[in-house]
Amino acid sequence: MAARLRSVLLAVFFTMLVSFGHAAPVDAASPEELDAKLKALQEQVDALKKEIERSRQAPAVVAPPAPAPATPVGAPPAAQPSPPPTPATAEQPATQPATKAPWVTDFKLGGYGSVRFESSDVDKVGDTFTFRRFVLSGDATIANRIRGVVELEFEHLTELEAEKSAPSEGGLRGFSNSIESSNGSEISLEQAWVEFALAEWLRFRAGMLLVPLGRFNIAHDDNRWDLPRRSLVDRGVPVLPSTAAWSEVGMGFAGDIDGGAWGKFGYQVYVMNGVTLDANLETIARASGELETEVEIHPQRGTANIDVKKDKAGALRVFWSPSLGNEIGTSVYYGRYTPDFLPSETVWSLAADGKLTLGPFEIEGQYVYTRWNGIKHVAQGFANAVAEQELAAGTSPLDVVVEFELAGLADSKQGYWLDLRYRFFPEFLRGTVFGRPFENPQFVLTTRWEQVWMHNLVKEIVFTGSTVEDIMREDRFVNRATLGFTYRPVSLVAFQLAYERTWTDHGKSLASVTNFIPARRSEDTQNSFLFGVAFGF
Amino acid sequence: MLSRRRFLSGATGAWLVLGPAGLAAQEGTFLTVEEAARQLFPDAAAGAPRTLAATPALQQRIRDLLGRPPSFWEESYRVVTVTRADAVAGYVVVVEEIGKHRPITFAVGIRSDGKLQDMAVLAYREAYGGEIKDKRFLGQYREKGLGDVLLPYRDIRNISGATLSVQATGRAARKAIAVLRAAGDLP
Repeated sequence: MAARLRSVLLAVFFTMLVSFGHAAPVDAASPEELDAKLKALQEQVDALKKEIERSRQAPAVVAPPAPAPATPVGAPPAAQPSPPPTPATAEQPATQPATKAPWVTDFKLGGYGSVRFESSDVDKVGDTFTFRRFVLSGDATIANRIRGVVELEFEHLTELEAEKSAPSEGGLRGFSNSIESSNGSEISLEQAWVEFALAEWLRFRAGMLLVPLGRFNIAHDDNRWDLPRRSLVDRGVPVLPSTAAWSEVGMGFAGDIDGGAWGKFGYQVYVMNGVTLDANLETIARASGELETEVEIHPQRGTANIDVKKDKAGALRVFWSPSLGNEIGTSVYYGRYTPDFLPSETVWSLAADGKLTLGPFEIEGQYVYTRWNGIKHVAQGFANAVAEQELAAGTSPLDVVVEFELAGLADSKQGYWLDLRYRFFPEFLRGTVFGRPFENPQFVLTTRWEQVWMHNLVKEIVFTGSTVEDIMREDRFVNRATLGFTYRPVSLVAFQLAYERTWTDHGKSLASVTNFIPARRSEDTQNSFLFGVAFGF
Repeated sequence: MLSRRRFLSGATGAWLVLGPAGLAAQEGTFLTVEEAARQLFPDAAAGAPRTLAATPALQQRIRDLLGRPPSFWEESYRVVTVTRADAVAGYVVVVEEIGKHRPITFAVGIRSDGKLQDMAVLAYREAYGGEIKDKRFLGQYREKGLGDVLLPYRDIRNISGATLSVQATGRAARKAIAVLRAAGDLP
């Protein structure tokens, strides 16, 4: 009787253990079977005890435990995290399943930022500090051959505040929503993609991807460059269809191919929603009965939501690196830039870029040509759309005037930047505050020469009714010369001093051809001294 | 319409191209220590790996030899002795150094005269900078020794966008030599 009771209790105990230990239900077992299993387990435990005893008596064959990891001294900040658990040596992961690598989902947070002081002879700029941007980035190896990358940018942002209230006036309750933000601020998802590496030369990527047009856009981190302002072609007078850092939602492939004696080849090819015209409309009813509609049109990166156009865009960049430090690349972008309610028109870009290293000297450059097709058709389409909107709204004034402001649209744009750098660090400074305790401090002397030409840059389009009345165009150029001196105590941090001179056609404003110089109507030249700090971590 | 034969041919071709050989090259782990020893000393025989514990005394000697501490202290070092005609031709030492955020595992081949024979990356875990495993990059370290600084823009050609990994490679090379000297394997 006692034996049976013990068996039943054991069975209940064992069942409880199994129930708590596993979510899945188990088959019921008889008390005799459980007795047998317990005996077998007891034998195994005894055997293990003997094994442990034997190993204790035998001489030690394993290495003694290692001391606590030492704190690194003198290494650059990025190389100073608290030492993680000792990673497995090569053969350990190989014996494990592919999804059980020791670094699985090891999300690491990093980022970069940059700030600048500028002293300009353009009145509206004057002397000013600018917090250029702060970008938080992260990456994780999700499993072997699968990784994710994300970059979130805060540009010129100091605050973003949302308020929602329900004020009461005269016994009536209303509702109010308001958003406050610092001037010219932006929060932007720069990158967010996952990569599945089928092979080194065939890595599938999907998500928010940097468009591979030229070499700057895909390597735009501020702390990687030695001048405190981005290039005209990529940012200031963008010849790229959208300003760098330009990313789009899409999918595609990237890969590297070892060419042996021929060096290395690589490519990125993506299909994306692509850059799209966006418009802001402002309608003003004049006392004369005239209805004036101002339409500001500017190209911007495509939506991350349902695309507003049927056709997608594509981009391809291929490069060849014949030897270490030397690379030549070419890239192309093609896609429709008009939303579906406008005539279908395309934009295409062609770029060539390269880098040459000769000892301490580096020459790096990029050329981009972009053509916007059918600007007149697009303007006409906008006018029709506005007229239809007004008819639908029931407004039918005697005169309808539509004014278009096309932000920087031209039939074609082309331009280039060319950097010449010299890296050095005098031996006599190694023992000074500039040299110690850094592993490899650098001084970098940089000159950059840039030119951009705009052909048939649209100044203004005037409509009467829904008919194009006039298109005013002009050919313009913007040039800039920069001389810079940079000190890098570590490779991730740059203190940048620069002088730059920017000029455009005589007597014409820099404001109408750049997106960063608020020049007056007659200010065609800007001289600036810049001091910037860029950092990565 | 895709015929079954064409589909099977395509699938077979894709498998041949993307098969295990192709996949192995992309994984974060590229070689075992034994494979690395054969690659770094192709004309020599590799012995069994032995483990060298990183005791505080050994760490201190390594630190003294390097002139500065490394970015990462391993618990132990795996060392393979390679021989040629019954004489010690060199050693392969497995060391690790932090790139930007994560440790990179290197196998460093060192001749018995203390000069670098060659290097290989056993495991790379960073999101960017994997180009340091290219032979054309690692080839720069041949014939270098503990007296060389092994730093980008000085005696090593940099890889743009991978500067921290390049610096880690140099530190790993110097540390491996220091390990052997500190342990008494090299004079």
